[in-house]
Amino acid sequence: MDKVIIVDHLSKNFTVNEGGTGIKTTIKSLFTKQNKKIVRALKEISFTIQKGELVGFIGPNGAGKTTTMKVLSGLLYPTSGFVSVLDFDPFGKFREFLKQISLVMGQKNQLWWDLPVINSFEFNRVIYDVKEKDYKRNLDNLVSLLGVSSLLNTQVRKLSLGQRMKMELIASLIYKPKVLFLDEPTIGLDLVAQQALRDFIYEYNKKEEATILLTSHNMSDLVDLARRVIVVGEGEIVYDGAFDELTTKFAGEKIIKITLSEEVNQKKLEEVGVVKKYNYPYCYISVPRSTVAFAAAEVLQKFPVVDLNIEEVAVEDIVRKVFKGELKS
Amino acid sequence: MKHLDVRFYLKIWKLMAKNSILSLLNKKESVIIFLIGKFVRYIFYFGFLYFLVTKTNGISGYTAIQTLFFTATYTLVDTIGQFLFRSVYTFRQLIVTGDFDLVLLKPINPLFRSIAGGPDPMDLVTIPPIIAVVVYIDLLLNPSMLHTTFYILLIINAIIISMSIHVFVVSLGIITLSVDHLIMIFRDFSTMGRLPIDIYKSPLKEFLTFIVPVGLMFSVPSKALMGIISPLGVILSIIFGITLFVLSLKFWQFAIKKYTSASS
Amino acid sequence: MDKYFSVFKISLAHEFAYKLNFLIWRFRNIIQILVFFFLWSSVDSTYFGYSQSEIFAYAFLLIIIRSIVMSTKANDVSGYVSSGELSNYLVKPINFFKYLLSKDLAVKMLNIAFSFFEVTILYLILKPNLFIQTNPIQLILFIISLIFAVFIFFSIIILSSSAPFWVPEIGWGVQFLVISIFVEFLSGAFFPLDVFPKPIYEFLKLTPFPYLVFIPIKTYLGNMSTFETTKNLLLGGLWTIILWLLMNKVWKKGLKVYEAFGR
Repeated sequence: MDKVIIVDHLSKNFTVNEGGTGIKTTIKSLFTKQNKKIVRALKEISFTIQKGELVGFIGPNGAGKTTTMKVLSGLLYPTSGFVSVLDFDPFGKFREFLKQISLVMGQKNQLWWDLPVINSFEFNRVIYDVKEKDYKRNLDNLVSLLGVSSLLNTQVRKLSLGQRMKMELIASLIYKPKVLFLDEPTIGLDLVAQQALRDFIYEYNKKEEATILLTSHNMSDLVDLARRVIVVGEGEIVYDGAFDELTTKFAGEKIIKITLSEEVNQKKLEEVGVVKKYNYPYCYISVPRSTVAFAAAEVLQKFPVVDLNIEEVAVEDIVRKVFKGELKS
Repeated sequence: MKHLDVRFYLKIWKLMAKNSILSLLNKKESVIIFLIGKFVRYIFYFGFLYFLVTKTNGISGYTAIQTLFFTATYTLVDTIGQFLFRSVYTFRQLIVTGDFDLVLLKPINPLFRSIAGGPDPMDLVTIPPIIAVVVYIDLLLNPSMLHTTFYILLIINAIIISMSIHVFVVSLGIITLSVDHLIMIFRDFSTMGRLPIDIYKSPLKEFLTFIVPVGLMFSVPSKALMGIISPLGVILSIIFGITLFVLSLKFWQFAIKKYTSASS
Repeated sequence: MDKYFSVFKISLAHEFAYKLNFLIWRFRNIIQILVFFFLWSSVDSTYFGYSQSEIFAYAFLLIIIRSIVMSTKANDVSGYVSSGELSNYLVKPINFFKYLLSKDLAVKMLNIAFSFFEVTILYLILKPNLFIQTNPIQLILFIISLIFAVFIFFSIIILSSSAPFWVPEIGWGVQFLVISIFVEFLSGAFFPLDVFPKPIYEFLKLTPFPYLVFIPIKTYLGNMSTFETTKNLLLGGLWTIILWLLMNKVWKKGLKVYEAFGR
């Protein structure tokens, strides 16, 4: 299988002025020596991604995920190291390269605010050189998959956040890019929209054999989509492997959240599992993954429970765990 | 650099113009008021000048009609500049929100998009009458074929200079996040070009000719039409314009390099 | 009274925080005056009834009078109305107009201080022959005309900013038309209105615009007949009252419409 993304000993440093940017500091810096700080955002990271893979890219904020994506898409140039995407040097910004990739960032938009969405799609059709027939086919396909056909003539500013994200996605896929960089695509969306987006990304990956790199703080995104996960921390790759291993290794538990109608002795709760937090009426109990259904039944039987929820351990917690060196548990 | 396919960019430009027009259709009331405002402004300004120069018989050695021609030329160049480069005014938003990254990722030249990406369709309405006025006064002046050619060349040169200044401003905007101030200052200096810059005393006059090339943009074309500029002067002006343009492009590349080495 | 004083103080602090904005604003004002100054240096102003020293006095007075009459924060109001931000101010226990005027006081003070500074510098550089008024009565009348001007300008801005109550899409369009175009040209801020032929000139004097800049300057220069001066003063006062009453009426009506739609 082809290696679509090759990253070899990639490093990226930023030089930061202690005073920040802006006219005043820039002028000041002409006369006085500013204190400069070197921030090492990426420290010689290496990984390869094959065609058709859907890889989750996780880590705490500031770990270097977005930086990596920007380097892979050509927005930032590396301080040192080798990067190749689709056999191109991304920074060369070759048109042929740009026509095959797409970067979708949660909070940023490329759609024309005042115009009906269809105009933005049409614009992309022209600049990405998509043939009319293909465009029509892609558009119909994407629109029906995401269920937005009635909104095509609506102005972008009148769309809800969820609808807009779907449209951003369509605009980014209308030219069938081979590589997708998705940076927090589900941020700010309600649960229904999140699921719709996830299903869609999954379909796209399967049908088009598109290579997808996805960053997210949302565990459900990763659970549904990523078979392989790269964990980044402080500019380094901490883990690169199957997602299952990660969750079974580090998220061996699930959290049962219960709402009680009467106070209960915490010791009794601890018989079911590890009590993470107990603020009457809420209680969070951590139980091993394999036994969670059983534990939940037990809780319902033994305690005056008004409401019960089974939650995933937050990605943050797993990642925090990983940093604590619990790689081999 | 990347390939420069003129047909492709023309197609994109027309599409962006069409989109600009569509945007405006959603704010009809606003458009009408602004159009009325622009027309009234032109009428007032011309009216004022007309009354001024007819009574005093011209300014600084120029006749009344010649003075009016200077103003008409200023209006033409200024309006064409506003028409073509209106997206400069929304550029700061792009940088501040980070949407500029998405512009950089598109397979079209980001400078083109930043400067020419939103032509102001309202000026499609205002430009023809301005051209009519220019032509009218021009006919009254009855210049030779040669001088008329100089004029047209220098008008194109003026637009190139205007474009260069806009490129400088957006480049500076990438580095300092400050676009609006610079553009406003440039526009204010431009208003000094409404009248022949001979009225300004040195060193202001030299400043306006060479440092902020208002004189080259507005006064020189008119002077050429009147036969006051030598062919050498015309050539030097054009060289200046082209040099300025090349410098501005270099500065843009410098700014982009800075941008792509910093986290946004 | 305390709350308005604190508004005043905050506005002053705000202007200082945006020093660059403020300085650039002053710079742009200067450029406009320079154009005026040089234009009239190359033209014989006696054609319009102004001696050289009088026309230069006009230029310098423009700087000062513009900062007294036309520096304002009330130009944000049309934006508040069309975006709905106005609601934030309406729920506060503070009279909106008094609030605006307190803000304006701060802004005007700052601009006036700078304008005196600029006038001094320009005088030292250009060394023009300036006309200085010495007659105390004329000076008093001058100050009265300025007071009228401040309130007329405020009323005009608020009236223009009321359009979005009924047509929110129009945004600051009416303000653009009235302030940037009509006021700019017809108040004498751009050129002395005497440039116009008599019939147009007389017609303009029936509108409120000349009372913003032109009439105050003329009053200062004091070269009008007693009849003219008195007529101007009466008309100025009349416009002040009419516009102030009209502004209040229109604003009240606008608020009713605004609250009905609950933006």
